[in-house]
Amino acid sequence: MHLSISAGMKAVLEGLPYIMGGVWVTLVVVAGALAMGLLLGTFLAIAHVYGNRALRTLTGIYVWFFRGVPLLVLLFLFYFGLLGALHLDLSPFFVSIVVLGLISSAYQSEIFRGAILSIPEGQLKAARAIGMSDFQAVVYIILPQAFRLSIPAWTNEYTIIMKNSAVTYALGVAEIMARANHVAARTYQHFWLYLLAGFIFLGLTSAGTRCLGLLQKKVAIKGYAR
Amino acid sequence: MEQTPVLKVEDIRKRFGEKEILKGVSLEINRGDIKAIIGPSGGGKSTLLHCINFLTLFDAGRVFLNGEEIDHTDRRRLYAYRQKVGMIFQDFNLFDHLSALQNVQIGLVRVKKIPKARARERAVAELERVGLKEHMDKYPAELSGGQKQRVSIARALAMDPEVMLLDEPTSALDPELVGEVHAVIKRLAAGGMTMVLVTHEIAFAGSLAREILFMDEGVILEKGPPQEILYGAKRERTREFCDKIIHFHHKDNG
Amino acid sequence: MFLRQEVAPAMIRGVWMSIRLIVPSAVFGLAIGIITGTLRVYGHSVLRAIANVYVTFFRGFPLLVQLYLWYFGLARFGIYFSPYTAAVIGFSLCSGAYHSEYIRGALLSIKDGQMLGAQSLGFSRTQALVSIILPQAVRRALPGCGNELIYLIKYSSLAYMVTCIELTGEAKILASLYFKYMEMFLIAGAIYLLLVSIATWLLNNAEDWLAVPGFEPPRR
Ligand SMILES: Nc1ncnc2c1ncn2[C@@H]1O[C@H](COP(=O)(O)OP(=O)(O)O)[C@@H](O)[C@H]1O
Ligand SMILES: [Mg+2]
Repeated sequence: MHLSISAGMKAVLEGLPYIMGGVWVTLVVVAGALAMGLLLGTFLAIAHVYGNRALRTLTGIYVWFFRGVPLLVLLFLFYFGLLGALHLDLSPFFVSIVVLGLISSAYQSEIFRGAILSIPEGQLKAARAIGMSDFQAVVYIILPQAFRLSIPAWTNEYTIIMKNSAVTYALGVAEIMARANHVAARTYQHFWLYLLAGFIFLGLTSAGTRCLGLLQKKVAIKGYAR
Repeated sequence: MEQTPVLKVEDIRKRFGEKEILKGVSLEINRGDIKAIIGPSGGGKSTLLHCINFLTLFDAGRVFLNGEEIDHTDRRRLYAYRQKVGMIFQDFNLFDHLSALQNVQIGLVRVKKIPKARARERAVAELERVGLKEHMDKYPAELSGGQKQRVSIARALAMDPEVMLLDEPTSALDPELVGEVHAVIKRLAAGGMTMVLVTHEIAFAGSLAREILFMDEGVILEKGPPQEILYGAKRERTREFCDKIIHFHHKDNG
Repeated sequence: MFLRQEVAPAMIRGVWMSIRLIVPSAVFGLAIGIITGTLRVYGHSVLRAIANVYVTFFRGFPLLVQLYLWYFGLARFGIYFSPYTAAVIGFSLCSGAYHSEYIRGALLSIKDGQMLGAQSLGFSRTQALVSIILPQAVRRALPGCGNELIYLIKYSSLAYMVTCIELTGEAKILASLYFKYMEMFLIAGAIYLLLVSIATWLLNNAEDWLAVPGFEPPRR
């Protein structure tokens, strides 16, 4: 009886509103992590490209660390380890955003670094030649170009964070996966509910990819392809 | 009394690794004057212009604007100086993500801190001066080489330079586009702009400059009035070079 | 002594389990990736469609969802996998889908002339594919596939979620047992860093060993 598809569909339909409520949680986690990663990643990339040797080494270590340690381990390390050591009481939701954001900043800094380095040196020279400071040149000339070049890789980063956000369920964040699991525990329709969760994630990644594709078209520079 | 040169460069030396690219180059130019620099490729002409603008930092030497030495470690002074010295690059270096108008405008807004609306007016006026008003909303990738170089001239002019450094402004252009850029430069000359012009266009240099400097292997080997340098140089190297390009030029035209 | 007696044996056990997860998954994943990647470029249209669907789903679903489907989901249909088997299946199929993308891209980047050249020598299409095209494609795909292998090392920690006790699991158990969360997860993290760094180094060298002059621009 439990094996029938109709029982599965029933569980899916009943659980759907509750599980869809997790979409918002997932979206906030992902958006928060992406934004944090963008901000930090930009600074890291600039520090790595234009900084002195010490700064370069530091950012290198940071990137190496956050790209090398698994998400799950970092979530546990921050939530159980660091919060305890610092006597902080933060929600799993908040910690998840921070950890995903820190990891993403490492990856995003690599994206931006590659983009900055691919911009011809003449752009910086020309900016300096009209009297811009290096700071102005980076902000007004280099970064706008680097960000445009980064959109495809950034889109990829979005899909990765979206999928990784499911792991925050391990801390008990009430996102899609956690809710699917919750309903499954009640209805014993694990298969269908996980399938549903999978499709929701698939939908979110494709929708996001499409939006970012539109963004890329919108900010594309006419006649310019690299 | 002698007038103070607008720009004076004293004994600039620069090495890249083992190789000494500039071996003590000096140069001065008075207001309204035009000097042309010619010489074989790899002789250090671009490096010299970049050094004058501190885009490349040199090992020794001094640079003066209106008699005042420029200390490049004083950032504010450096930025102000660079506005006064317009730079035209061989390969344009327009800002690829900005339209022609924005290319001219951005220095006014960000460096000179002029309000956007007024900056725009000025930028449009500069583009009109180089004959590109109707193309002002195009992006660099949509412009021809000649148009790009004219935008870059407008961009430099918008900063109110006292002297312009032009590094082979037409050498990256298809032959049929050279004329439009030369026309703009001629108009600048007629307007009394002080210029240092690196070029291979002998005839153009000869018609414009009062003095031609021949530069080779990091030194200015010889300088003098166009006729003298082009057709009666004292040095063997200079004669050889001039003969070659004059010959080439004639062949090219006939 | 605590370290010697309690932590070290558990961590070594954990690393060994992680390696037992990673290595087979890497091999199966690469094999699946090469096969499906090739099918998507050179396969019969039906196979191509199937391979495309496979890639869409296994790249689109979060790995955690996939692992849960294999381990908890299929149980309802009477299909029971051990945690270890479920994890290896999950890792292999997921990373196979990613490898497939890189292989496909690499195959598409290889010029038609290579196939024509081989065929002109009397190679069959399959022969040409196996002995001329794929060796080139694998070299081209190496950076991407290498990245995917690095990801696999890190994602192997998710096996803990389906109760396969590997490095992360052992660390978690020790941490809860002795209330030493910070220490245990730092040790686990350091071991993962080590594994990732070794793999990165090996892959960079593999790229150099496999490099063919002029075939690809030198790195950096
Ligand atoms: N950034 C640099 N690093 C090393 N060598 C350079 C650099 N820039 C220029 N050079 C060298 O300096 C020499 C002079 O170059 P350049 O000033 O461009 O000559 P020109 O403009 O007269 O053709 C060339 O041999 C060139 O290779
Ligand atoms: Mg030059």
